[in-house]
Order: sequence, then structure tokens, then C-alpha cells
Amino acid sequence: MKFILFTFLTALLVIVFNPFLHYWSVMLLIAIFAALVGNKGAGAFFAGGLGMGIAWLGQSLYISTVSGSNLPQKMGDLMGFGSDIVLLAVTAGLGFFLGAFSALTGSLFRRLLKKKPNNIYKGY
Amino acid sequence: MKYIGFLVVLTLTVALALSVSRQFGTIPPLAPLLDPYHGFWQNSISEDELAEDKLELNKLSSEVKVVYDENLIPHIFANTQADLYRAQGYITAKHRLWQMEFQTMAAAGRISEIVGPLALDLDRITRRKGLAYGAEKGVTFIQENDPESFLLLEAYADGVNQYIDQLKDAQLPVEYKILNYRPEHWTAFKSILLLKYMTDMLVGDRDFEYSNLRKILGDVMLDKLYPEYPAGVEPIIEAGHKWNFNPLAVTRPDSINYPDDQLVIDPLPQPEEGTGSNNWAVSGSKTKSGNPILANDPHLSLNLPSLWYSMQLTTPEYSVKGATLPGALGVISGFNENIAWGVTNATRDTRDWYKITFQDESRQAYRYGEKWQQTSFRIEEIKVKGEEAYLDTVVYTHYGPVVYDKTFNSNRQDVNFALKWNVHEGSNEQKTFLMLNAGKSHDDYNAALDNYTAPAQNFVFASKSGDIAMRIQGKFPLKWKGQGKFFMDGADPRMEWQGYIPNEQNASTLNPSRGFVSSANQHPTDSTYPYYVFDNSFEFYRNRRINSRLSEMKDITVEDIQALQFDDYYLHAAEALPIMLELLGSEFENDDQAKKYITLLKEWDFYADPNQKGPSLFYIWWRKTYSQVWKELSDNVAPIVLPSYYQTVLFMKNEPSGPVFDLKNTAETETAAAHVKQGFLEMLTDMKKWELEEGDFSWANYKKTTIKHLVPQFKSFSVENVYTGGGSGIINATSERHGASWRMVVELGADVKAFGIYPGGQSGNPGSKYYSNFIAKWANGEYLDFNLRTADQTEGVLFQTILN
Repeated sequence: MKFILFTFLTALLVIVFNPFLHYWSVMLLIAIFAALVGNKGAGAFFAGGLGMGIAWLGQSLYISTVSGSNLPQKMGDLMGFGSDIVLLAVTAGLGFFLGAFSALTGSLFRRLLKKKPNNIYKGY
Repeated sequence: MKYIGFLVVLTLTVALALSVSRQFGTIPPLAPLLDPYHGFWQNSISEDELAEDKLELNKLSSEVKVVYDENLIPHIFANTQADLYRAQGYITAKHRLWQMEFQTMAAAGRISEIVGPLALDLDRITRRKGLAYGAEKGVTFIQENDPESFLLLEAYADGVNQYIDQLKDAQLPVEYKILNYRPEHWTAFKSILLLKYMTDMLVGDRDFEYSNLRKILGDVMLDKLYPEYPAGVEPIIEAGHKWNFNPLAVTRPDSINYPDDQLVIDPLPQPEEGTGSNNWAVSGSKTKSGNPILANDPHLSLNLPSLWYSMQLTTPEYSVKGATLPGALGVISGFNENIAWGVTNATRDTRDWYKITFQDESRQAYRYGEKWQQTSFRIEEIKVKGEEAYLDTVVYTHYGPVVYDKTFNSNRQDVNFALKWNVHEGSNEQKTFLMLNAGKSHDDYNAALDNYTAPAQNFVFASKSGDIAMRIQGKFPLKWKGQGKFFMDGADPRMEWQGYIPNEQNASTLNPSRGFVSSANQHPTDSTYPYYVFDNSFEFYRNRRINSRLSEMKDITVEDIQALQFDDYYLHAAEALPIMLELLGSEFENDDQAKKYITLLKEWDFYADPNQKGPSLFYIWWRKTYSQVWKELSDNVAPIVLPSYYQTVLFMKNEPSGPVFDLKNTAETETAAAHVKQGFLEMLTDMKKWELEEGDFSWANYKKTTIKHLVPQFKSFSVENVYTGGGSGIINATSERHGASWRMVVELGADVKAFGIYPGGQSGNPGSKYYSNFIAKWANGEYLDFNLRTADQTEGVLFQTILN
């Protein structure tokens, strides 16, 4: 459940902030978000990845459907992929990896900090 | 352990983020390109979906209204000229930013900055020709002589820059995203540079080739094969025109010593074959409505985004519409409520080469008469993407830059040639168009043209008041007969140009009795014009077809003129093919394949329509025959030009057994018939291959008209195999890579009726539905409605925007 929620919220975060921010700022946000929410390693990796990947796939699909433009096809040819479907997959894949690694970094960062509270509340 | 795990993942994440933001070889940074919120996906959205009611444009004196018609043609309504051109800059940048910048980067010799070392030679050529140097002179000239126009140039530049400054990544043209660079600020210099670039595209010279020919053939044979006025020429200014002026004297030196070097030199790239244009105007006496009709179709390399961008520009004083050049102010070929004008290239040798004799290796002085004259050095710093900048030292003499020296194109020969070209002298072409845009009469047109230097153009004119006119305008050097046809000795002061033909003595005509004026890059005048006029590239076919049609046409309508612009009659074939068939005789009667082709050719009506098979056969046969005829000449290692098609046909017709056809290095004595037969044999071989591999050889399928993106590697942004007729030397001059880059027909009645089209679309964005949407109509000979619009007109509005 937490996995699905995390995926959903990551996607939402991309949808809300990516229009104003560069992808690397979005990566930073995802990392912070993952650190706050605290999914474990693999869970964070796949949820973050799926979140950003789905958001990028969705936005690309939305633009090409609404605009009816053949630019994705042209770009697919130009980049040697041959088709717009492959280009969609590459975009989604890139989104997945950017989101996944960001979330994993955030999640591991949280694990680093976890110890600190223990130390703090040890009491002197 | 935890720390190590975290650090490893952090490093991986940062490495990933960095690697997708970097360029690797030709692969652009992936993340900025694919990010669907900023990358190329955003360029899929067309302009109408991004329409905004209001946009911020500072420094306007009052608000400017921009109304887009359904073809995305903007109509700009402004209260002052400064507002108008500021808005023109802004709106043009909005739709064509990448192209206008790329073209000026090319003109400045800065392509290596974008694409890396592979463009270095191209950049060196551009810089050694002194285009930017000429533009710098142009800036100074306009600042000093016409500060008002300079302010307008700056207003335009500011409009472009205000657009660039607010440009978000999402709307950045996709070419920037792929090539990974960003637009820089526009300047008045760039607008002027663009006009110099047009000169470079349209002006050539063949001094080196003719110098070689003179050595190879001698003067007598040269004049026979390359006559300056071949029989049957129909000049632009009607033959028999009376010249009402006293010409300036030109003195020819009594002895001329042409330098006698061995010239194995790679000449500069020349304007490509097929670069040319048609324009004409018919007077009311020949039209059905009694109104003058004007037509113009410039033929240039067919590219996307299109060279032209359509606009209407309106102030309270005038309303002008037509084709603009992104980067230049105003309308270049168009009309207003009172007049219409159009341009064709007035090809003439205005570029000459002088052999320079340096005093010593340091090249600080060169011989001039009895003295040594000082040179100056211009160091060109060419930035190269991914490499260190390349420094190219160009020596300047009083003639101009020494383009060829030991470091450039001279195949290590110890030769130095300086280029004298009027593009290096200060001039103000922009003023001509600003004045034409606001012009009301023939006098205004003449006053506007007085400012025009290069590239020389044949300006056609028609006015609502009933005048039609043609003027060949440029700054033409005063030359003695033969001057500048061959390269000259720069040490001999007698070789200098002796001044310029005064503007009022440039060839022109107003309301000639034949009822029409026309030009199609042919000889400007008959031989009675009192000045020496020479060029290698005068055209022989389109002009005669236009003139013969206009002479016989009566009660002419706009539709008739449109049909004439799209006329596919292949005059060269009509003149050459019967001779070739005759010379071929009955030799191939027993060959079925040959018989099939001969029948097709005999039945052909000489129209190069897209579905015809005759033009393909003739085209191949002619070219094979032609190269066979001049085989010996073209086998020379030194660069030369071959005799024109027109002259070759004349030889085939008048002296088929003459010595011009004999190849000296063979035992037999060749005649025209031998070459025609050899050409036919070679055509059979080619056709066999074509039919096997491609099948259909109808004309459109054979010539494969292609409209290429400005970056040739961006193949998917090009439009290939456009189904259309015409060809080189045909009024509809659409060949494989060249053709009518803009067609306009204007009838100057009480209400001006206008039509226009170009092979492209208003948008420079390959993802937009307005990128190439005119091409199908253009290929069919159809036109768009180009009538003037008023600010409050509501029908056919796509959207409108207020700039404030």
C-alpha cells in the first residue's frame, strides 16, 4: 500500500514541480521526499522510478495525443530509434532511472540519520 | 557500511544525472532533450494551441495588435515605424528564431561553434571572402548616413532580444535542443550581415575559370564558344530601347598583360545552378480588368524552415504585405495599397580578382605601380566546438581581402589573389526596402532603389496609377570591354575599376509599348547599352518563354498569370530534341528498348509535367550528350566552365559537322551526331538500371524534388519527393533542390487583389502543423489569399495577440 502511495505521490510531485524545475531539481525533490517518507531500499527504488517514469510517459503521451504532431516520429528517426514508440519507451525509461536512483539515495540518506535520533535520546 | 552504501548510491545518482546532461560526440544531452516538460516533446505543440491574448513587449509607444490569419500569417498593426519593426523583430523571432540566427552564424563564419571542426573550412571561406568585414562597413555607413534607419534596425534587434530574454526552455526551438546551444542576442549588425549573405548566395564570378579557358583555347576560340551576346538573346530591357543619357567615358589601357599563372585552384563555391528568378508586370492595356498585374517568383535553394516568412505590416500611413526575410526589416517582395514590386537576381560580374605581388614573406607590403603599398592584417578567431579556437590571418589590400594564399585552396602554389567586391563597401540595402514598403509611386520606387548596392536585382514595379516598370539596380563598376573577365595584375594601377555607373544610367524602362516588362536572369540589355556588361550565368530559356507568352496573351486575368508562373514548357527540350532525334537517325531501330524511348520522346509535347516520361528521357540524354561534346574541355585539371546549353544547341543546329565537335585526342573526326549517339547509348544504360531499380521514370519520380532542412543531417525534418513538375530553365523552375521559393501575383485595382505561396509554412518548428503545410498547395500551383487585412476584420482569424 505504502509502495503504491509512494509511487503515486512521486508522480504527483513530478507533475506539479517539473513544469517549473529542471529534471535535476526534481531529482533532488524526490530524494528529499524519499528521505521523509522512508521506504526501504528496493521499495524506494522502484516506487521512485515508477513514479517519475509514469509521469514522464504520461506527459509525453498526453502531448503527442493532444497535439497530433509527428515530431516524436521525426525525432525517433533522427535519433536512430526508428519510431516514436521506442522514443516514448526511452523517455519513460530515463524518467524511471532518474526517479529510482534519486529515491534510493534519499532512502539511504534517511537510514544514515536514523542512528542519530538514538544517540540524541540516549540522554546525558 | 551504511555510509559506504549511501556514498556509492549517491555517486551513482550524481553520475547518472551528470551523464544525461552532457553531450557525448554527436549525441546531445539526453535528459534536457527528453524531459517532457522542457525537452523536444514540448515542440510538438502548435502555435494556435499556445496562443496568448497579451504578450509583454517593452519600449512601445502604444500597444500593437497582431492578428494571425488561418495560415498563421501575422498582420501587425502599429502606430509608429519604431513600434512596427520592434514588433516585427519580436514576432519573427517567435516563429523563426533558430533559422534567423543559424543563417547569420553561417554568414559570420561561425558554424564551427555549433557543429565543431567539420565546418571549419566553410567558416574559413566565409571569413576570407570578407562578409562580416563588409557588414561592419555597412553598420558604419548606415550610422553615419542614415541614423534614422539605424534606430529602426536597433528597434528590430530589441524586439528579437525581448523575445529571447523571456523564452522558456519548453519553447526553445528544437534545433537548439538537439545541437545543444542557446540563442545569443540579436544586433543591427546581424540584420546587415544577413543582407550581405544574400549577396554571397546570389553573386558569383568565373574569373579563374575564364583565365584558364583563355590559356587553353586562346581568345578566338573563347569568343566562339562563349560569345558575350549569342544570337537570339532577348534582353530584360526591351531591345531597341533608347538610352537618354551621356555615358561616362571608360578608357581601356592600350596594352594589357594578364598574369599567366598555372591556375590549379579550387575556386570559391558559386551560386548553385538553378538559383534564379522570374518577375514580370503587364500593363492595364493587356489585362481583362484594365488593372496592372505583377508577378514574382524567386528561385532559391528549397529549404525548411523556408527562407521566406509572410507578414503584413501596417501603420496609419501604409499597409504592406508579402515575403519578409527573417532577420531583415520590412517586406522584401510584396505590395501595399498603391504599388507592388518584386525582385530577380541581376547577375553581373561585380567580383574581380587581382594577383598580389608581396614584397617579402612578411606580406606587409605589395607592389602597386612603382611603389610598395602597406597591407593590413585581420585575424579571424574561429571558435570550434570541443576544440581550441582556430586563428586565421587574412591579409587585406586596398582591393580587398587576399582570399587565396599559401594557406588556403591554392594547392600549395605560390599565388596570392585579392578579391574586389562591392559587398566590402559601405551600403544601405535595408533603406531600399523600408522606402519601397511605404512607396506610393514610380518616383518613390526610383528613390528607394537609389540606395541599393548588392546583390544587384531586377526590380519589377507596378502601381495602382497604371505604371509598370523595370530597373536593373546595383552598384555596377565601370569597366572597359573585357575588364574583370579574367583575373588581373594587382600591381598595375591601370587595372583598377574606373568608378561606377551612375544610378540614373542603370538600365531601366517605364511603360514600354509592348505592354509588359519581364526579367528572368538573362542579359540585361541589348548590345547598344553604352557600358560593358558581362556575366557567365545569363539564362536563355525562361525569359524567351515568358516573353513569347506575354506577347501573345490578351485580356489577361490573375488566373492566367498564376498559370504562367506554373508553366512547365521545356523550351530547351523543344529546341534541342528535334535536332537530337534528327542526328540520331535510324541507328537504334532494331533495339526494342530504344524504340520505346524514341517513341515516347517523339510523342512528347515538351511539357515537363510531373506525370510525363519525356522530360526524364530528354534530361538524361541531353546531359550525356553535352558532357560528351565538351569532354576534352572538362578533362582539364584546371577548373573551367563549359559553354552554355543554349550555345551548344546552336552549334548542333548550325554546324553539326564543325570542328567544335571534334575531339582532338581521338583518331576519328567526331561530329554532333557521334556525340548524340554516344549520349543515347549511355542513356540506355542508365535507363536500364533505373527501370530495374526504381521502375517508374515519370518526371516527378525521376527528379525527386526535395525540400531540405537547413541542417542536411536532419533528414526527418525535410520533405522528400514532392510531386511537382517543372525544372531548371523552365518558368516553373522546380528542379531537384531549387525552385520557386516564393510565388506572388498582385492585381493593382481599386482594391488590391493578391495571392502568394511558398514551399514551407509559417512556423519554423518541425513539430508544428504550420511547418510544411503550404507544400502540397505549392506543388499543385495553388495560392493563398494574400489580400490586405484591416485590424478589425474578423473572418479567417486564427487568433490575435496584443503586444504592450
